[in-house]
Amino acid sequence: MRYLYHAMRMNLKSIAQYRASFLMQNIAQFIMVGGEFLAVVVLMTRFSSAGQWRAEEIMFFWGTMQLTFALCECLGRGISTFAYYVGSGDFDTILLRPRPLMQQVVGHRLDPRRLGGMIVGAGAIAMACARLNIVWTLEKLGLTLIAALGGFFLILGLFLIEATVSFFSVRSIEMVNVLTYGGRTTCEYPVDIYPRPLRILFTWVAPFALSMHLPISHVLGKPLFDVPMALVWLAPLTGPVFFLLMTRVWYIGVKHYRSTGT
Amino acid sequence: MRFLEAENLSKTYIRRVKPKDGGLSRLWKRDTQVINALQNASFSIDEGELVGLIGPNGAGKSTTVKLLTGILTPTGGTCRVDGRVPWLERREHVRHLGAVFGQRTQLWWDVPIHDSFLLLRDVYSLDKQAWQRRLDELVDALDLAEFLATPLRQLSLGQRMRAELCGSLLHQPRLLFLDEPTIGLDAVSKLKLRAFLKEENRQQGTTILLTTHDMEDMLALCQRVMVLGRGKLLYDGQLDALLRRYDTVHTLRCTFEGAVDLSALPAAIRQDRDGDAYALTFAPAEIPTGEVLSRVLSCGAIREMTLKEQNIDHLIARMYEEMKL
Repeated sequence: MRYLYHAMRMNLKSIAQYRASFLMQNIAQFIMVGGEFLAVVVLMTRFSSAGQWRAEEIMFFWGTMQLTFALCECLGRGISTFAYYVGSGDFDTILLRPRPLMQQVVGHRLDPRRLGGMIVGAGAIAMACARLNIVWTLEKLGLTLIAALGGFFLILGLFLIEATVSFFSVRSIEMVNVLTYGGRTTCEYPVDIYPRPLRILFTWVAPFALSMHLPISHVLGKPLFDVPMALVWLAPLTGPVFFLLMTRVWYIGVKHYRSTGT
Repeated sequence: MRFLEAENLSKTYIRRVKPKDGGLSRLWKRDTQVINALQNASFSIDEGELVGLIGPNGAGKSTTVKLLTGILTPTGGTCRVDGRVPWLERREHVRHLGAVFGQRTQLWWDVPIHDSFLLLRDVYSLDKQAWQRRLDELVDALDLAEFLATPLRQLSLGQRMRAELCGSLLHQPRLLFLDEPTIGLDAVSKLKLRAFLKEENRQQGTTILLTTHDMEDMLALCQRVMVLGRGKLLYDGQLDALLRRYDTVHTLRCTFEGAVDLSALPAAIRQDRDGDAYALTFAPAEIPTGEVLSRVLSCGAIREMTLKEQNIDHLIARMYEEMKL
């Protein structure tokens, strides 16, 4: 932990060397994600609802996804850009250090420039809350938190797919990104507005519906699936489970790397 | 059991290539091509040895180093360093290992180098006092004191190499790998670096394995060399024996102010006259370059001189010829 903490501080120090650039990129992020947000707002004022969901509710889903994804890109930068380290040989340096590999990969790179995205995400949630008059209870707060955590690990797990593929093939990485970035864009909206194949994909393959949408739907008082409350609390565990599973697969990839090299 | 033992160490890569002919089938057909990066290399190294690993590009030097560091797993044979198999016990193995790969940095580019050294303390879980003592020692020996607060990217090549060395030695590794440590350095830096490495090897008993193309590096540092060529270990033994076998020579061309009498020079230096200039040819294995210089200097005032060395590639080329590779 101590190592990870210091590795992260190193990253912040590196970034502090380029303050203007840091600021500009945050502003750029803010404008980019903010633009997307405006698009959602425009869409929603035009149609005012999607399926059973009101515009403000959609905004809540949208905000949690933005916030979670930006957090992943910030803290999981080492994983999401891992393919690059395999090519550049940075991974060799990682292999030369007596620390668990995954710990080093995560500590390798942080990306606080995602702050702009996080702010927009948080803003969207706040706006939705204000308009929906949600009565916050400890339960609802807990559900929102585990939805974000479940999504967080799920997205890191998806990043790991690309990282693992990079051991085997330099190309064909774009294919893999369909689940990650496609998943983000699709699952900014609750899964039940989509046709069946997409619903199945994002419930059972990349389980955004279970880890994020289900608990949030309870926060908004419109349960997505008819399941007992205990299961609602357990469902976001699919995120960490997915992450652990992908970590195992990634380690198999490491073995492959060490028997081929680049 | 020796400190480092490699037995029939081999590494083959399988590369997929597009077939040269064939129409549309080129799109999906792939021929496989087997590349023998290292074939049945057996060698052992004792603790405290300083060994040079030489050979042309693509000879298998980096494959060998990657196998010994545990970055790669061999396709055949085995190797043990201090009783451990590198690729099976990675973490324990690399704890006692240092490595400096010429072009690649393991310090952080944008932060003061002292911060990098601090992080390395956590990476290797070093005791705070022991770390500080060792850092002071290295900073002193490598002349780094005035750069400690400077980010790595602002250092010159020579300063950077010294910083890298410092970083790789903080945890007092028992085995140090160096990949072309003097490449691109100026003459003074080269000399200093060599002196440092020798001292480190002598004082700490660090086993050092270095790859280089620089003949002077080898002459100054390694008594023993291993020559690799096309994935095979061609020679493993004393450097001077190798030089004698291929009578590697240096040529010192000089012109003097006025007349000069060179008859006092030892017979090991061959003298040729070329107009005003003298061409003095000698084998550094027999008589060190420094001694030749001081002898010549004592003969008269030199107006101009150049030293031409027969480089390692020349030597390898002749080995190839002999071994019909």
